[in-house]
Amino acid sequence: MTSTLRKRLAGTFASAVGVALLAIPRPAAAALGVEAIAFAFWAWARAATDRREQVARWSWLRRPALALWLAAALALALPPAPPPATSPGPLGVPQLVRTIAPDERDPLRTLRALQAVAVLWAGLELMAAMPLSRPFPDLTGPLPAAGPWLPAMLPAAGFLVLWRQQAIWTQAPLVREVAGIALWLAAALAVLRAFTRRPWTASLRWLAVFDSALAAMLVGFRIVPGEAAFLLWFAAAGGRLVALAAELHGAAGRRGPGLTRLWRLAGWTAGATLAWPLLVGVGFADRAFRPVEFLLLAAPVTLASLLSLRRVVEVPERRAEPRFDVGRVAGLLGAVTTLLLGPAALLLAWWAGFEASFPGAIVALLPPLLGAVPRPPAGAGLPPVLRGPAATGAREFAQSVFRSVTWFEARLSAALAALLRAMGAPARDLHSGDAQEYLLFMAGVGVLALLLPLFR
Amino acid sequence: MIATLPPAIPLASVLGAALLLRQLDRRREGEGLPGAALVWISLLPLALVTAAPMSVGPARGALVAALAVALLARDRQDVGQSECALKLTWVFGAALALSWAGDSLLAIAAGTAVPAEQWNVLSLQLDPYGLWAGALALALLAGAVLLGGAPFHFWLADVFHGSRPHLAPLVVAAPQAAGAAWLAQRLAGIDGFPDGEAFAGGLLSLAAAVALVGGAATLATQRRPERRVGTLASLQGALVLAAYAADPGLTPFAEVRGGLAAWATHLALALTAAGALARFLSVESGADDPPVVLFRRHPASAALGAFALLSLAGAPFTPGMFLWLAVGRRLAATGHPGLLLAVALAWLVSFSVATGELRRAFGSPDGRPAPARGVPWPAHAAFAVCAACLAALAWSWWPR
Repeated sequence: MTSTLRKRLAGTFASAVGVALLAIPRPAAAALGVEAIAFAFWAWARAATDRREQVARWSWLRRPALALWLAAALALALPPAPPPATSPGPLGVPQLVRTIAPDERDPLRTLRALQAVAVLWAGLELMAAMPLSRPFPDLTGPLPAAGPWLPAMLPAAGFLVLWRQQAIWTQAPLVREVAGIALWLAAALAVLRAFTRRPWTASLRWLAVFDSALAAMLVGFRIVPGEAAFLLWFAAAGGRLVALAAELHGAAGRRGPGLTRLWRLAGWTAGATLAWPLLVGVGFADRAFRPVEFLLLAAPVTLASLLSLRRVVEVPERRAEPRFDVGRVAGLLGAVTTLLLGPAALLLAWWAGFEASFPGAIVALLPPLLGAVPRPPAGAGLPPVLRGPAATGAREFAQSVFRSVTWFEARLSAALAALLRAMGAPARDLHSGDAQEYLLFMAGVGVLALLLPLFR
Repeated sequence: MIATLPPAIPLASVLGAALLLRQLDRRREGEGLPGAALVWISLLPLALVTAAPMSVGPARGALVAALAVALLARDRQDVGQSECALKLTWVFGAALALSWAGDSLLAIAAGTAVPAEQWNVLSLQLDPYGLWAGALALALLAGAVLLGGAPFHFWLADVFHGSRPHLAPLVVAAPQAAGAAWLAQRLAGIDGFPDGEAFAGGLLSLAAAVALVGGAATLATQRRPERRVGTLASLQGALVLAAYAADPGLTPFAEVRGGLAAWATHLALALTAAGALARFLSVESGADDPPVVLFRRHPASAALGAFALLSLAGAPFTPGMFLWLAVGRRLAATGHPGLLLAVALAWLVSFSVATGELRRAFGSPDGRPAPARGVPWPAHAAFAVCAACLAALAWSWWPR
């Protein structure tokens, strides 16, 4: 067995173990799981032909692993938390100023919040919802055959982290609210990016990010039970992953009119069943219509359903006589599963107590249905000058929005890193010097020790 | 199943590994057996200090510091070691002198030289606050300096950078163990004097916070692997300071089987292997580095050395993890969230730096064949001895 093959096999094994570990609801298991996935990417990158670029490209994966290790360490070090205060509900105004009774005081609440932030950080970063990792779904992974598919695995890992560790991050004050904003931004940017990318494989990776962000919001706001959220996510994002695999297998999901239509319907149904409870839960929380929140969510949902329906176009069959293809059968099964799983998950949610108010249940259907409105005949109702450039203009607008936001985030991150470096610069001077400086330093410390009590 | 690890085993392992590593030193040629025996005899007291740190009083602590300096100063032709010896002389000498001054002031104020009796006398509040508080701050100084927590962390990195691999671990670990014992003896019975306990707790909290944050910041900005090992050792000293800050009257690591001796033993073992490993790693240049010879030709041996480095950093599933956790739990139990935050930050940085160092050592293979010349066998044997002993420590500490 060659060294390259060994590394690839080691990576594949590590990634499989890593994903399996993410299903365990313990922070240490999640940390080990993400560490294994980071190791897998590193091992694959070392075996790639462009290894230097790939190793550098995926080195950020250690950050979410470290964040989860921190959460795991805090879980081991901190005593059990006191019972949580009552929650204000999804997107409710948190009680920032509240009188806390002496027996309610928890001196370690800052550290519990840090633990929650660490879990959230890991989940968001894996879902491309943090500035430092935002562009990764645009890039291909380090394995030659499955390269374009691999980055789509990371948002899945991010969702699994947030789902299985929800007991940690959803109870800390303000963390859910921050997560909601970050996830909405991630979903909006992901769908914009999916719209601007011309290759369908790249768009599918971004749509997987979009679906994972919506599903994480379902978990964070506790709109449906965790298991139902998982099934809804599995139908939507899992469907994208299967579609992406089929796409890499000679566009197997778009061969023939029947299969193409089935995939179109499956993608739309899965996306709609994922978005619908979220739109109901956020837009009609506490039986009151919240137009701003509803519209903020509805816009990306409409665009995503539009993409699911219009970008899945049949590819021309090059063979004169079609042959039996295992990939095609697998694609068919994947499409049927995707189609059925979403409604089944909604049924499960309803069975577990999820209720949609009227007219919220109907209104929440509108954004996905808007995406299903048939495209008007080319140029109908439009003057000739607006026909061609309209789509191009929208795409350019989406691209400029995405680039502006990522540019701003990159600059902000760079500024913060520079600030940290500047603050750490004195440490560099402190740990090297000559003997005389050390003696002077000791004399100074001696004087300080004498003066310190005077500052009581 | 190992219930507890007898102290003789890690002691013999550290000394054995030191002798093995001495085989790698080309400058020892011509010394022969008497030279080896002299080094071994000089290292023995230092190893004994790490095996039983609580037996070290202030006078023995000073002797340990003097022996460490003497070992470094012995070879006058070695510029690096001579410089380290000079630096340690200034630092240890000044710190010990200041602490003895503080001890003497406390003895004058209390009318007795026995620490446990001094607190009872001082609790009568017959002496001005400035006198006993200043004296106590000075008296604790030597412990903090010997422990090597920032801002006194420079000497550990200097020793690992400038001295030979068989000397550096014990020259660092023994004074650190002596420093921990110094604080234990100076603070014994202080819970009988609440004002003093509060003052010492505040002072130690400040020292621990500076040591943890300063050590973490230094670790993140360093480039040389051996200096990083020295700073990781300084973070171990910072852990001791944090444990004292949580409860000045309680010996650190009482939660771990073996207590302070277990910490010192782990420190000596981990420093021996990690210090040796650092000699085979390349200096971080920022560019993409090819794999180092040890990791390319002897990955199993490299993994053993890496285990020691990770344990020093407190990585999960290593014995070092138990020490970090013990301090974290004590800080949580005594309600020190700020200090616990500093411990978490320092742990995160040290774990990240250690794993980053190992990833860099594996490097990106450039397709060229491995170098013909490998790493000599004594290094492999030293890694194996230390890693086996560390694994036994982890097994004996694992909760059942």
